Amino acid sequence: MSWFSRIFRRANIYSDLVEEMRLHLEERTEQLMREGMSRNEAEQAARRAFGNRTVIEERSREIWQWPTFESIWADVRYALRQLKNSPGFSITVILSLTLGLGANTTIFTFVNALLLRPPAVADAGYVVEVMEHNAKASGIEAYMPFSYLGYVNLRDHNHTLSGFAAFDGDPRTVSWSHDGQGQMVFGQLVSSNFFSVLGVTPSLGRFFQTDEDKSGPGAPTAVISYSFWRHQLGGDRSVIGRALVFNGASYTVVGVSPRAFTGILIGSQPDFWTTLAMTPTLIHDPDRMGSDTSYWLLGIGRLKPGVLKNEAQADLTVLTRSTHSSNPHEAVLDASAFPVQLVPSPFRGYVAAFTGLLMAAVGLVLLIACANAANLVLARATTRRRELAVRSALGASRFRIIRQALTESLMLSMMGGAGGLLLAYWSIPALLSLKPATIPVSVEAPLDWRVFAFAFAASFLSGIAFGVVPALRSTRRDLLPALKDERQLAGPRRSRLRSSIVVAQITVCLVLLISAGLCVQSLFNARSIDPGFSTHNIAVAHLDPGSLGYTESRDRQFYQQLLERVRALPGVSAASLSGYLPLGTSRSIQGVQIDGFTPPPGQDGILVQVAYVAPDFFNTMGIPVLNGREFLPEDMHPGSTGIIVNQAMAAHFWPGRNPIGQQFKNGKEAAEIVGVVKTGKYRSLSENPLDFMYLPLGSQPQKYLVVRTRAGEEATLGEIRRVIQSLDPNVVPMEMESISQYMALPLFAAHTTGLLLAIFGSVALLLATIGLSGVVSYSVSQRTNEIGVRMALGADRLDVVKLILKQGMRLTAIGILCGLVLSFAATRILAGLLYGIKPGDPLTFVAVSLFLATVAFLSCYVPARRAASVDPMKSLRAE
Amino acid sequence: MPMTNSTPRDLFPGALEMMILESLRRQPAHGYALVQHIQQRSNNLLQVEEGSLYPALQRLLKARLVKAEWGISSTNRRVRTYQITAAGLEHLEQQISSFERMFEGIALVLNPGRTPAR
Repeated sequence: MSWFSRIFRRANIYSDLVEEMRLHLEERTEQLMREGMSRNEAEQAARRAFGNRTVIEERSREIWQWPTFESIWADVRYALRQLKNSPGFSITVILSLTLGLGANTTIFTFVNALLLRPPAVADAGYVVEVMEHNAKASGIEAYMPFSYLGYVNLRDHNHTLSGFAAFDGDPRTVSWSHDGQGQMVFGQLVSSNFFSVLGVTPSLGRFFQTDEDKSGPGAPTAVISYSFWRHQLGGDRSVIGRALVFNGASYTVVGVSPRAFTGILIGSQPDFWTTLAMTPTLIHDPDRMGSDTSYWLLGIGRLKPGVLKNEAQADLTVLTRSTHSSNPHEAVLDASAFPVQLVPSPFRGYVAAFTGLLMAAVGLVLLIACANAANLVLARATTRRRELAVRSALGASRFRIIRQALTESLMLSMMGGAGGLLLAYWSIPALLSLKPATIPVSVEAPLDWRVFAFAFAASFLSGIAFGVVPALRSTRRDLLPALKDERQLAGPRRSRLRSSIVVAQITVCLVLLISAGLCVQSLFNARSIDPGFSTHNIAVAHLDPGSLGYTESRDRQFYQQLLERVRALPGVSAASLSGYLPLGTSRSIQGVQIDGFTPPPGQDGILVQVAYVAPDFFNTMGIPVLNGREFLPEDMHPGSTGIIVNQAMAAHFWPGRNPIGQQFKNGKEAAEIVGVVKTGKYRSLSENPLDFMYLPLGSQPQKYLVVRTRAGEEATLGEIRRVIQSLDPNVVPMEMESISQYMALPLFAAHTTGLLLAIFGSVALLLATIGLSGVVSYSVSQRTNEIGVRMALGADRLDVVKLILKQGMRLTAIGILCGLVLSFAATRILAGLLYGIKPGDPLTFVAVSLFLATVAFLSCYVPARRAASVDPMKSLRAE
Repeated sequence: MPMTNSTPRDLFPGALEMMILESLRRQPAHGYALVQHIQQRSNNLLQVEEGSLYPALQRLLKARLVKAEWGISSTNRRVRTYQITAAGLEHLEQQISSFERMFEGIALVLNPGRTPAR
C-alpha cells in the first residue's frame, strides 16, 4: 500500500476502530447484565474496565500517523493563527529577521559564488589545476604560469595524469567584426584536449579534436559559449559551420559549450575558445609558442584513477625542474597542483579574508535581529501566560508547550528567511553593479541550492536561538497565579534577562557602528587622496589595433590620425597617448645605474617603476611639471635620451642639486633628465611616495588615448568613438571611460566596504533602537501601578520621566562600555582596509558612542513621556 | 482507591502484542474475545485495561502481522475478526524465542546459584 492510498484509507481505519470499540463496550455491558447488573451499572463497569476511550482512540490513531507530522502540522496551523492575531508583533519580528537574514543570505551568495560553487566540470574531485611554484617566494607572487614548451613537456612525460590541458590565463579582448563593425568579445586560447580533460560535453556540435592544436594554423576553428550563442547569435541552431571573424581572421564555429560551463576561473567567462595553434593569429605574437620565457599557460590535469593529488604534484615537479635545468639563472620552480576551483588556491586566502569580514559584520546584524526577536517573544510570553496556563491545566505536557512555542518562533524565522531571500534577490544585482563596469570581468552570483540551504539553516537556527529561552521560561511557572490572572510583578530574573539582551544588542551595535564609521571615513579619505593627476574632465580610451594585425607603419598612421582628429573635436583642449595609466593593473620596472648608488646584490641596477608616454601627456592628465619641460615630439625619435622623473626620484638620487641635465644609465641606454613632475600615486592610493620615471612612448600597438575636454566626458567619449569608427570600424576600444569611472577601480575595495558596513551599521542601529525602546516601553507598562502610586504620593511628571530614562540609559551605558572594549579588538581586523585612519581612532570611538547614546536616549524618551502621562487614579483603580 | 492490586499494570513493550499473536495462532477472534481469552489464560494475573488492546491491534495491523475482517460471530453479533498472517507467525516465533532467552538470562541473574537446565 502506498503512502498515498494510506492517507485516503485513514478515514476508514478510524471509523472501523470507533465502531469496534463501541461493539466491545456493548458486548461487555450485555455480559455484565447477564451476570445481574442493571444496565446503568453494567455500562459504567464496562467503561471502567475499558479505560479512557479518548486516549485509546488517540493512541490508536497515532499508530497510523507519520510519527509527528500531523501533530506538527497542527502546531503550525495553531502558530499561524496566533501570529495572525497579533500582527504588530509578528510584523516587527519578521522584518527584523528579514533584515538580518537578508544581509546574511546576500553576503553568503557571494561567498558561494566565489568560494563554494564548483566549476561545471565532470568529477571535479579528480581535476587539478597546475601552476609553477617558486618555493622561495611567498604569497601570490610565488605562482607562475607555464610556457608553452614547459606545458608540452609536462603533458607528454607525466605518469600521473590521464590528460593534461592548458589554457591562457588572461582572457583576450578580441574584436569580433560583424555587419561592418567591430564588437569587443572575450576569447580564450586552450589546448585541444581542454574540454575532454574537463569532461564537458558540447550542447551543440563538437569540441576540438586531439590534433587541432598541433597542426599549425590550418582552418581556424572556435567553440562558442552558450551565452554568446544565445545572446549574440540568437540561439541559431544552424550556427555550426558558420564563420565568425575575430581579430581579422575567420574562424569556423564547430561547437557550443553547455549552458552551465562558463569557464573554470571566476570572472573570466570567455565568449569563445580556440586552440593554442591560433595563438599567432589571435594575439599577433608569432614568437610566443616557441618561447620558453613567456609564461602564460595554466595547466589543468585529470588524475589517473587511484593517483593522489600530491603524487601528481611530485611527478610534475620532477618534470618542471628538468624543463628549467637548462637555465641555471632561473629560480628553482616546482609544480603545484590544487583542486580546480573558480578562485584558485593561491587567491582563496585573500577572497576568504574579505568575504569573511563581511560575513562577520552581517553575522552581528543577525545577532541583533535575533536579540530583538527574543525580546519581543519574551514580552509576548508574559501577555500569554493565561493561555499557556490553561493549556497546561488541560493536560498539555511541558514538551508539547515548548514545541508549540518553538513552532511559532520557527514560523517567524522561516518567514523572515523567505523575506531575506527576496531581499538578497533584489540586492545582489545592486551589489554587482558596484563593480566598476570597466573591469573586464563578469561575476555571476546565482541563488543556487547552497544559498537556499544556507538561508534555511540560518533561519532555522535563528528561530531556535531566539525561541528556546522564552519557550523554556514560559513553561517554568506556577499555574495558579496565572490562571487567577494575578498580575505578575516584573520579576527581577525576567527583566534581568531582557535587560542583558538589550545590553548585548547595544554592545554589538556599537562594534558595527564604529567599524562602519572607520570605513566610511576611510572612504572619504581615499576619495580625497590626491592621486597626482586630475580626476575631472578627462576621457580615456584603451586601444589595440595590433590585434587586427596592423603593421608598425599602419599603427603609427592610425594613432597619428586619431590624435589629429580628436584634438580638433569641440571642447577638447589637449590629447595624448601613453602605454600606461597610473593606478591601473599593469606595471613595469627598469634597472637604472646612477653614480654614487650601488644596486642591491645580485641585481644589475636599482629598480625603478617606469611608464612610456607621448608628448603633452602631463598637460592632458593635469600632472604639474615642476621643473624643466614635458616631452616634445623630437624626444620620441629613436636615439633621443630625454627622460622625465618624478619629484621623489629627483629628491632620492640628486638631493639638493638641480636634477635637470643629470645623466644616468637606464639599462644600457644613456638617459638625461629633461623634466621633473609632481609625485603621484602609481600602484595604490595608500602607497608611500615611489620613485618613478617616464620614457618616450615607443611603437607598441596597445595604447591609452587620454583627452582633456570641457565638453563633458560622455559627449567627448561619443565623439571619440565616432572618430575611431571612421578610421577603422573594426578597431574596438577595450575600455572607454571618463577618468572618474576609471578611478572607481582603485577605490573599489574602500567603496564596497564603506558602503556595506554603513548599510549594516544603520540596520543594526535601527534594530537596537527598536529593541531598547521595546524593553523600556514594556517595563513602563509593567510598572504602571508603581508609577501611579509614586504620583499619588507626590512625584511629579519630571521625576517619572527621569525614573524611566535612568533605567534605559543605564542599560545603554553598560552596552556602550562593553562595545568600546570589543571594538578595540574587533577593528584591528579592518586595519588593512583603512586609508588614513587608525583602527583605534579615538575620535571615531567617542563620536560614535555619543551618537549611539543620543539615539538610545531618544528611544527611551518616548516611553518615558508615556509613563509620565499615567493618570494615577486610573492606574490605581485598575488594580 | 484501595491498594488491593499490587501487580504492576504495565507490561513490558511488546508483551501484549505477543499474547495477542499467540491467541490468534490458536484461532481467529475479535477484540472482546481476545481480552476474555488473555484474562482467562493468565488466571486474571494480568490485569490488562481492555481498551489498551486496540492500539496494540492497530500496531499489528499496520505491521501486517494480523489482518481483520468484519463478519458475524457464532453468537450472531457483528464483529471484526482478527486473523494471524504468515508474517505474524514468523514474528511470533522470533519473539517467543528471544523472550525465552531474555527470561532465562533474568532468571540466572536473579538466582546465581542455579545452572540452567540444559
